[in-house]
Amino acid sequence: MSFWRQTAALVRAQTRSETRTGEVLLVVLPFGAAALFVIPMAVGADSALLQRVGPGLFWMVVLLFGIVVTQRRTAHPSGARSDLLRMLAVDPAARFTATAVVNWALLIAFEIVVGLVMIVLYDPVLTGWAWLVLVVPLSAAGLALVGTLAGSIADGAGVRTTLVPLLVLPVAIPLLLAAAQATEGLRLGTGILRWVLLLAITDLVLAIAGVLTARPLEESDS
Amino acid sequence: MTNLRPTPLDLAAIGTLATALVAGLVVPPDAVQGDLQRIMYVHVPSAWLAYLAFVVTLVGSVAYLVTSRMKWDRIAASSAELGVVFTGLALATGMIWGKPVWGVWWTWDARLVLTAVMFFVYLGYLALRRSMPEPAVRARRSAVFGVLAVVQVPIVHFSVIWWRSLHQPPTVLRPDEPQIDPPLLFALLMSVAAFTVVYAALMRHRIALEAIQSELEDAPEAVAGAAVRPPRLGGADV
Repeated sequence: MSFWRQTAALVRAQTRSETRTGEVLLVVLPFGAAALFVIPMAVGADSALLQRVGPGLFWMVVLLFGIVVTQRRTAHPSGARSDLLRMLAVDPAARFTATAVVNWALLIAFEIVVGLVMIVLYDPVLTGWAWLVLVVPLSAAGLALVGTLAGSIADGAGVRTTLVPLLVLPVAIPLLLAAAQATEGLRLGTGILRWVLLLAITDLVLAIAGVLTARPLEESDS
Repeated sequence: MTNLRPTPLDLAAIGTLATALVAGLVVPPDAVQGDLQRIMYVHVPSAWLAYLAFVVTLVGSVAYLVTSRMKWDRIAASSAELGVVFTGLALATGMIWGKPVWGVWWTWDARLVLTAVMFFVYLGYLALRRSMPEPAVRARRSAVFGVLAVVQVPIVHFSVIWWRSLHQPPTVLRPDEPQIDPPLLFALLMSVAAFTVVYAALMRHRIALEAIQSELEDAPEAVAGAAVRPPRLGGADV
């Protein structure tokens, strides 16, 4: 079976698992929306302030809850299932790609829904919103890739759930910066092309790193 | 068993450190900042040694991935640990220096933020190592992470050129001539040399400790009661 067919089959399997469990769409997503709801209680209900900081808070929520999305149970198969995939000679790079693709799709859904909640609650300036068609998928791809990579590195560790955020957060800072600066640029009406480029380059580097390291990481399991 | 007694390298580390201390104290103070500037003789070498340590981690990680020899994993791990210490020292001395000069302990400047990010990335590396009990798995996973993490080093170094920064641009490692008076440059280079020898001495001890730890991990587990021997009566076992 070719690399792409393996990837497609794994994407279908992971999507089915996520549809059955609803871990992201029924648990993480409402929790992320609730986070946006409680932040004004901490910083004060100043409408002008919230309007200005809303997009930044949105990206903060995306980053923090995005880690939870990428570390959902269905993204990291149990030992038996993992062994089975290895015995079936499934390409580790295909496993990485499939997990990253499903993470990407789920993160886009997460960003759209939480973004709508942010618009309703914080009433931000929506100048140049068409650029978000690029910014949202690119930021979701970066977070999906870094989360998948960190998940592979920390796979099997006893403290995996606490370790992964420590690995992901510092590496994801260029993504957060680029996404937040892009939306700030839209608000101010300045150019955001360089931030979009930073997102695209970060995604490309992470994708190459993920595919190249998939096999060494898989070998360390066996 | 590995020997942990002081070596000529340890004595050299103490000697060069003492010489650098004297050099840092006797050179004239900075024309603008006065004696406050002397903190540079700790701050700058700490940052440089952090870079060096993380590059050594990269070399050890790549060498491990190629050869699968544990020696390289021990070098990478030891160097990362020292790199975190030197990064922490650079951050702490930078904050102490920043308070009287900038008026704040911390500011959201590109160099400062990225150095802190580098610190957290390598803390993650150390946390990753601690979370993996199996030596071969730990070595391979952390080698992959060690290769990816080093991208922070050039970003931190060039951040003062790429972004507008409150932090001063490079003084010594710059395309044109160093912008520092010769006596101060001499004291700074002495300090860098001393920190490098200290790094080498600490590396030697840390690698030796890692080797001891590996020996302990490889040793057969003691069984309860294994040390108890049956009583002997008249020279014969009972």
